[in-house]
This record gives sequence, structure tokens and C-alpha cells, in this order.
Amino acid sequence: MRFRLSDRQVGVLFMLPLILAVGIFLVWPIAEAVRLSFVRYNPLRPDDQPFVGLDNYLFVLEDPLFWESFWQAIVWTGWSTVLQAVIGVGLALLLHQPLKGMNAFRGLLLFPYIVPTVVIALNWRWLFNSEIGIVNHLLLSVGLIDEKIAWLSTPSMAMASAIMLNVWKYTPFVVIVVLARLQTIPTELYDAAKVDGAGVLRRFRDITLPQLAEVLAVVIVFRTIWTFNKFEEIYLLTRGGPGTSTYNLALYAFDQSIANLRMGVGAAAGVIMLVLLLAGSMLYIRVSGFGREDKAA
Amino acid sequence: MTDLVVQGLSKSFGSNQVLKALDLTVPSRQFVTLLGPSGCGKTTLLRMIAGLEKATAGEIRFGDRRVDMLPPGERNIAMVFQSYALYPTMDVARNIGYGLEVRGTPKPERTEKIGAVAKVLEIAHLLLRKPKQLSGGQRQRVALGRAMARRPDIFLMDEPLSNLDAKLRATMRGELRRFHLDLGTTTVYVTHDQLEAMTMSDLVVVMNEGVVQQIGTPEEVYGKPANLFVAGFIGTPPMNLIPAKVVDGVVTVAGAPLPVPLPPGAPAELILGVRPQDVTMAAPGDAGAVPGKVWMVELIGSERLIEVEIAPKLRVTAEVRASHRAAMDDLVAIRPDPAHIHLFDPATGLAIRA
Ligand SMILES: Nc1ncnc2c1ncn2[C@@H]1O[C@H](COP(=O)(O)OP(=O)(O)OP(=O)(O)O)[C@@H](O)[C@H]1O
Ligand SMILES: [Mg+2]
Repeated sequence: MRFRLSDRQVGVLFMLPLILAVGIFLVWPIAEAVRLSFVRYNPLRPDDQPFVGLDNYLFVLEDPLFWESFWQAIVWTGWSTVLQAVIGVGLALLLHQPLKGMNAFRGLLLFPYIVPTVVIALNWRWLFNSEIGIVNHLLLSVGLIDEKIAWLSTPSMAMASAIMLNVWKYTPFVVIVVLARLQTIPTELYDAAKVDGAGVLRRFRDITLPQLAEVLAVVIVFRTIWTFNKFEEIYLLTRGGPGTSTYNLALYAFDQSIANLRMGVGAAAGVIMLVLLLAGSMLYIRVSGFGREDKAA
Repeated sequence: MTDLVVQGLSKSFGSNQVLKALDLTVPSRQFVTLLGPSGCGKTTLLRMIAGLEKATAGEIRFGDRRVDMLPPGERNIAMVFQSYALYPTMDVARNIGYGLEVRGTPKPERTEKIGAVAKVLEIAHLLLRKPKQLSGGQRQRVALGRAMARRPDIFLMDEPLSNLDAKLRATMRGELRRFHLDLGTTTVYVTHDQLEAMTMSDLVVVMNEGVVQQIGTPEEVYGKPANLFVAGFIGTPPMNLIPAKVVDGVVTVAGAPLPVPLPPGAPAELILGVRPQDVTMAAPGDAGAVPGKVWMVELIGSERLIEVEIAPKLRVTAEVRASHRAAMDDLVAIRPDPAHIHLFDPATGLAIRA
């Protein structure tokens, strides 16, 4: 006896691995998070999970720490993304120059992106140590500051340090994407603009920037989502402190779930993040006009 | 009213010398074509005139103004690129007006000039489109419009027709010629298509390997090639170049004497050039003809090409009317028209003139 599969069945078979993977690693966790957000769940009492309706959400929305974390997450994400975009485009323009040895720099650029976050965070803690860190030592010896700065133990400086770490680590991602796009812009366009009399700045504004617009839209969306959700950098560098001054929503959710044993509340915070990011991304892509060009053509 | 003078211009990319001490004068208001095989340095020369490439040595003057240290934007030239290089994110109107915009021309004046150019080029209905939404021919016109809008002193064009199909190319050749006659702007036009060079130019500059081979009117470079390169490069099918000997003061080809007037002081060995169009068929044994065997016959529309082998490995092509029949291996003879024979010195490659 022989099995004969229809084309349709073969097609389904081919899709099965992906469907399974997406189901197990994407759909199920999200569904589980949504379910958890409607129950009270203490991990020490896994057998007792009463349905509590919107209680977890109400708890989160009435918690001042949630709102503090929310606004700090905005600051953290906003500065990180803007700095990464600006520095990333700037570095990409520099690395796009046809100079000898540029390839070595292009390779070097990947370094921060490759090193594990733990290593970076621990190193940065040493670098920024107010007593024995090299940052203070250098700034003092150059004469830029008169007294040691408490980088990680004053609230605003701690946030700034965390942002710096994020920018340092993820700017290479922006550079690579932007550089790839820059390399596809025909040089004849710049020649034409030179003949038309456009200087460096005008050529950047009228030729480079419009061509980068699409890829920048994508990069900014990705960086925003990843930074907004970022947990390990802040946790490893400052543990959210001093106090709660570097909490973002990821740290808040972690804090509720693991430290306070309120899994339901943590899940509710996670679902809120998901909704915020979905809405934000859709809005941004709409406003930036991503993909519109192609549809018109 | 600007003539263009290039003096002793050299350009090297690393160890590769692309232009070799090149001299060239383009008279004011003329349409001058740079013609040469691929890689001979035409684009490089044009880009140096535009200021997009720095000279290794030599100078460039527009009229009495020395320009080779000026950036492209200050030379008041306009360039049409082979790929058109239209700004993809700007609409057609802004593309055409960009040079004016950069120079700070106020909007109403700009709009008026764009409108005028668009009307001449018949692209007024396309002004709001993006380059992506245009056909090749339309893009070509927009590129031309961008060059015209600024009223430059000199037009530079790098193979602007090479991306068009044969029919559109023929139409655009005529139009470019007409625009040039209307505007009277000095134009340097690069091509490797000799038909373009012949039909459009006032002067043709034939280049090879970074050296100017000959400058002349289309009639001159066709009728009086200065050397073997020009003789072989200009004209289709290419000129027959046949080794010849002078025996007792008479030019002989493959042993057959030909009634060719011999300039005084000609060397004993020559190269005789004759275009297929100037070769007629004769019977073997006819005076003033070289006997041989038909090697190949090709019909090219109203004409027929007959290739005759007059000595081992030495073949001469004759272009005759299609009604003339010939079969492979027929014994025939070819008769070069003595009035249209070119003689060259094989040692120098230069034409020998009376
Ligand atoms: N930027 C460059 N770097 C190095 N070599 C170059 C550069 N530009 C041109 N060349 C070399 O200079 C020579 C002349 O090139 P050019 O583009 O001027 O030829 P061209 O006559 O325009 O040929 P074509 O008809 O194929 O366009 C070529 O051998 C080319 O390889
Ligand atoms: Mg070229």
C-alpha cells in the first residue's frame, strides 16, 4: 500500500516545521502571557491560579512605580535611538569615504556588537567606577572636571551611563545598515549634483538623506522596539538603581514577577508593553511613509 | 560664445596613464564629437572638462578663463550622463530646476524656465512624475532638460543615446542636432557609435588609447583619414588595408600592378587602403584589377559584400549591388577605384599625401 499526498498536503508538510517553531516559541508564550495577566499567580503556589479579571491591569495602572518606569523607558528609548541614528549615520558617512585602510575600520566597527552584553556591562561598571574608574581618572587629568563624578550612583548620571552603553553597543547596527544603503546610491547622482552646483551639505540633504529615509524608518522602528524592551544592559549596569531611577518597563515587569512573586502583574505589564510598541510602530511607519514610494510606482 | 581649449592634458589612475598630453580645441558654438573605441579615455576627458576628475598635468580653458582648478559648479557647464543620473526622489520639474534652485533662482522665475524647457522638449505633461515612472526616452529628455534649463556655456554629453532602442536613437539624433542649432551652445558629445558622430557633428575628434588621432569634419575623417587607426575605425564595413609594394615606380598588390598615382618620396613598402564601396568586380586578367577567388558572399539588404581572397590569407571586401551574383570559389578580380585610394606608411602608420 502506498500513500499518495496531494500537492496541498505536501505544501502543508513543508510549512509544518515553521508553523511548529512559530507556535511554540512565539504564539504560545504570548498567549500564555496574556492568560497570566488575567490570573493571580504566585510561583511558590503554582496550583492556585484564580481568575482575577482586570485586577492585574488596574494594579499596574495605579502603581506609581509603573508610571515612573514608563517615563524613564521613554527617556531611555528616545535618547538611545536618536543618538544611535545620528551617530550611526555620521559614522556610516565617514566609513563610506573611499580611503585606504577603510575596510579595517569597517571590520573593527562590529566589535561592540559582537561582545556579549554581560562582558560589556561589567567592564563599563569598572570604567565608570567613581573611585577607581578610568573615565573619572582621564577627565580629571585632562582637567575637564574638578571632582569625581558619581556616574552610576546619581540618578541622572546613571541613566546617562546606561544610555551611553546602549548607544556604544548598538550604533554599529545602524552603521552597517546605513552603509549598505549608501553603497547602493549611484555615484553619478553626486556627479550630477556637483555639476548643478550643489555643495557637500546640499548633496547630503537633497540626495543622500532622501535615499536613506526608508532604511532609517526601519532602523528606527527596530531600535525603538529593541531598546524599549531592553532588560539585561540596565540590569547588569545599575540594577535599576540608584533607587528606581533607571527602571524601565522590562525591569518593572521583572521586578513584579520575580522579586515580588506577582507573575500576573508582571504579565500585565508585558502585555501593556506589547500593545504600546505595536501601536507606536504602526503609527511611525504610517507617518514616515515607508513603502509608499513603491506602491505609487 | 565660449571656445574650449585643452592643452597638454594628462591623466593617470595609478600607473595606468589614460590620457597622454592631449591637445584639443573646440571652437565656440560647435558640436564636437569624441569618437573612439571602448576604454580609450573619452569619458575621462569629458569628466575632466566637467571638473569631476582632477588632471595629472595640463590645463583647460573656457575662452580666456582657466578652469581646471574650479569645482564643477563654478564652470557653468551642464552634463548629460549615460545613465541620465536623474535624482530619483525628486519629481521631473525639480530635477530640471535643481541647478537653478541651488543657485538661488527665485521660485517664480524657476517655474517659468522649467515650463519653457519642458515645452521645447514636449515633456510638460510629465512634470509631476518621478523618474521611475518615465520611459527611457522620456528620461533622456528630462536629462536634456536639466542641462538646458541653466543656459550653460558648454554642454557635455556622455553617450546619452546608448540606452535607447535603435528607432528612438535615430529620432533623438535628429532632435539633438536641432536643439544644438537652436541654442548654439558649444557641445562636446562622447560616443563610440560612428553613425552618431557622422550625422550630428561639426567636428569629429577620433581618439585611441588616450591620444587624439585626428580632428576634422565628418567628411575629412571619412575621406582623408590621417592614419591607419582612423582609416580602420571609421566606416562600415571597415576599409580594406592591403600591403602593397612599389616595383619600378608602380604600386603592385599581390603582384598585380595598379594605376595609383604615387606621391614623391613614398617608401617601397606601403599599405593601400580602399573602402569596400570603392571596389568594383572585374574579370580575371582585366587591367588595373587584382585577380582572386571568391571567399564569402553576404547580403546586407540592398548591397552585397563579396570577400575575395587575392593571396593566401589576404582578403579584400567589395560592396556591390545586391543584383550582382557571385558564388563561392568563383575566379574573379577586384578593381579599386584609383580616385579613392589611401596610401599609408607601414612604419609610422601615417597617411602618405601628395
Ligand atoms: N576611476 C578610475 N580608476 C581607475 N581607472 C579608471 C577609472 N576611470 C577610468 N579608468 C580607466 O581609464 C580608461 C579609460 O576609461 P574611460 O571610461 O574614459 O573610457 P571610455 O573611452 O569612456 O570607454 P567607453 O566607451 O567604454 O565608455 C580605462 O582603461 C579605465 O579602466
Ligand atoms: Mg565612457
